[in-house]
Amino acid sequence: GVSGTSVEKNITLDRATRIELSCRLDNKYSHLKSLQVTWKRGNETIRHMNKTENSWSIQLRILDNSNLGGYSCTLKGEEETSAMFHLQPKIEGKEKPIVSYEGDTAVMICKSFGYTPTAWTWYMTNGSEQIAINDSLLADKYVINRLSANVTHLKILKLTKEDDGVYWCEAAFELGKSKGKLKLRVLSLMVPLKPFLAIVAEVVILVTIVFLYEMYSKKKEKSA
Amino acid sequence: PPPANAGRVPGPPDGGWGWVVVFGAFISIGFAYAFPKGIAIFFKEIQDFFGTSYSEIAWVSSIMLATTYGAGPISSILVNRYGSRPVVILGGLLCGIGMVSAAFCTSILQLYICVGFITGFGLALNLQPSVIIIGKYFLKRRPIANGLAMAGSPVMLCTLAPLNQFLFDNFGWRGSFLILGAILLNCCVAGALFRPIGAATTPVKTQVTEEGKDALKEEVTKDAMEMSSPMNITMETKTEEEGGKGCCEKVNQYLDFSLFKHRGFLIYLIGNVLMFLGFFAPIVFLAPYAKHIGIDEYSAAFLLSILAIVDMIARPTTGIIANSKWVRPRIQYFFSFSIAFNGACHLLCPLASGYTGLVVYSIFFGLAFGMVCAMLFETLMDLVGAARFTSAVGLVTIAECCTILLGPPIGGTLIDTFGDYRYMFIKCGAVMVLAGTFLFIMNYYNYRALAKEEKERKTKEEDPKSVRTENEGRNNWNKETAQDGPELEPLREEREGLKKEVNGT
Repeated sequence: GVSGTSVEKNITLDRATRIELSCRLDNKYSHLKSLQVTWKRGNETIRHMNKTENSWSIQLRILDNSNLGGYSCTLKGEEETSAMFHLQPKIEGKEKPIVSYEGDTAVMICKSFGYTPTAWTWYMTNGSEQIAINDSLLADKYVINRLSANVTHLKILKLTKEDDGVYWCEAAFELGKSKGKLKLRVLSLMVPLKPFLAIVAEVVILVTIVFLYEMYSKKKEKSA
Repeated sequence: PPPANAGRVPGPPDGGWGWVVVFGAFISIGFAYAFPKGIAIFFKEIQDFFGTSYSEIAWVSSIMLATTYGAGPISSILVNRYGSRPVVILGGLLCGIGMVSAAFCTSILQLYICVGFITGFGLALNLQPSVIIIGKYFLKRRPIANGLAMAGSPVMLCTLAPLNQFLFDNFGWRGSFLILGAILLNCCVAGALFRPIGAATTPVKTQVTEEGKDALKEEVTKDAMEMSSPMNITMETKTEEEGGKGCCEKVNQYLDFSLFKHRGFLIYLIGNVLMFLGFFAPIVFLAPYAKHIGIDEYSAAFLLSILAIVDMIARPTTGIIANSKWVRPRIQYFFSFSIAFNGACHLLCPLASGYTGLVVYSIFFGLAFGMVCAMLFETLMDLVGAARFTSAVGLVTIAECCTILLGPPIGGTLIDTFGDYRYMFIKCGAVMVLAGTFLFIMNYYNYRALAKEEKERKTKEEDPKSVRTENEGRNNWNKETAQDGPELEPLREEREGLKKEVNGT
């Protein structure tokens, strides 16, 4: 509607398709005469627009990555409104960091929702660079498995402090790539050991106090 | 100077150190019930780590629960033999060892053993003795003490759930298991607080060989007349030490199987076994049901929190109500009523529409659940008496073990077959209403039979020659102290010596 607000819509595609995007005006605004609707991609105006009574649509053939992006429909009358269409599938990693220990194994799982990727690649962040993980080269350190069509699985063996950091799982689709982020934290065994010993000490102290108090009150009773 | 109560066997304190014991039991029972539920937070991560299916992980919980209930009789035997305190301390140590070794596990099978068996067994050694020792410390205020101690379960659950999440975010599952092992060692502290009640009678012991002996003789004579038959067996087996003990009698000494002839015990057993079929399934399926009818995940989890909070308040309150002079003599009716009330809640649940309806259901369910749990052990104590309670609780938990494990899976199958949660609620509600009605009717007959026996006993008491009387259900502390295990061992040896003299004259 003509209210000055922007509407944004995300459309997810995983393979080459033909798609029609249309901007429709609410009936109550159809009285506005001087309406100029433009479909743009970025700054480039799209020519071949179909106009019906109160809707303006474009037809797109999405064949590869270059066609993906944001498309906007702008209405110029008294107000300017725009709607944006994005085309990008979503990959899920994990928001919270995975905590593991030195010498242990870490398992990281990435899922793609609804759409099946053609390939998965894992990246490790080294400083500011992203390095691809080659599991055939370092087979005793990394194991990459594809558990099912939509799920990939990276196992890192014999963890060390250097393995701590951000990992990316990238899913390749026909039309492009999408990434998921995972964080790995590698702790030394000393870290949980400190609270453990603290609690054990607390238990020993409390038990000793209870028994000492009992012996003391027994002595008091006997001497009374 | 001799203490004022020389020669008198004191009744249960009903206070004083008893409240400290209630606190210890609160912690112990809390861990025993809340820990298996709280540990579910780690399952997703462990499932990913070992690459197993959800049902394989769920076995960890089931094994733990099965061991906690199934090891009941072993727990009872140990308490009968050694008293509550050493058993709880051993239980705490076992739990700690189990969880610490679980932190270093490399396969799901090892997890089954460490978390399932070892920790489960440790929790069993915590649960039984805590409930038993309340019966030893309290008589007049026992329902309140039971209600307070059982409140440990929801409080611990509310504490463990966010704590487990915090530990998991900071230390991963291995570190969390390590720290949880240390936390479970606190059960040893609770155990240390379980002072054997024999401490109250030590002044009696030191006097017994002097002035107190005659007074004690009086006591023993009175006891001899008030003995109920199973206790005669146990006393007689001790005095016949030279002769060969029958194998059955020896087993009876540790675990009182003659309870199966006890009318009240059988009623309780059948009613409870039936009830547990429908007891836990609604809790397990409440959150999934909420999500099924379109409620978001956090609000669904909040329903369980509401349940836990209402539960927390309901348990001590029920204890206070059950202790009042109107309810206490008819406590079995109150118990049957709360079971039926619970069942009615489940039957009405499918009628609840939307989030408000489910909130109302959660409140009533929490109330009913708390009422039943608070009186669960109190009613058993009321029926069999504190002396035989040790064995009774062991036998009851192993019988309940089967139905507890069957309940949720049966509910799950109903949901899967019909695709609707309604039938699961109807099944649970119907089973519990049935159990409640059964208990109500049978206890009516039991109360009548007990009143009749009481009358017969009073007429027989005129005749001093008769010794064998039936005293089931009478909360007579004097009788019960005679049966108490090693907590009164020095005292009992003295008494038996005197008893021989009495019987001889």
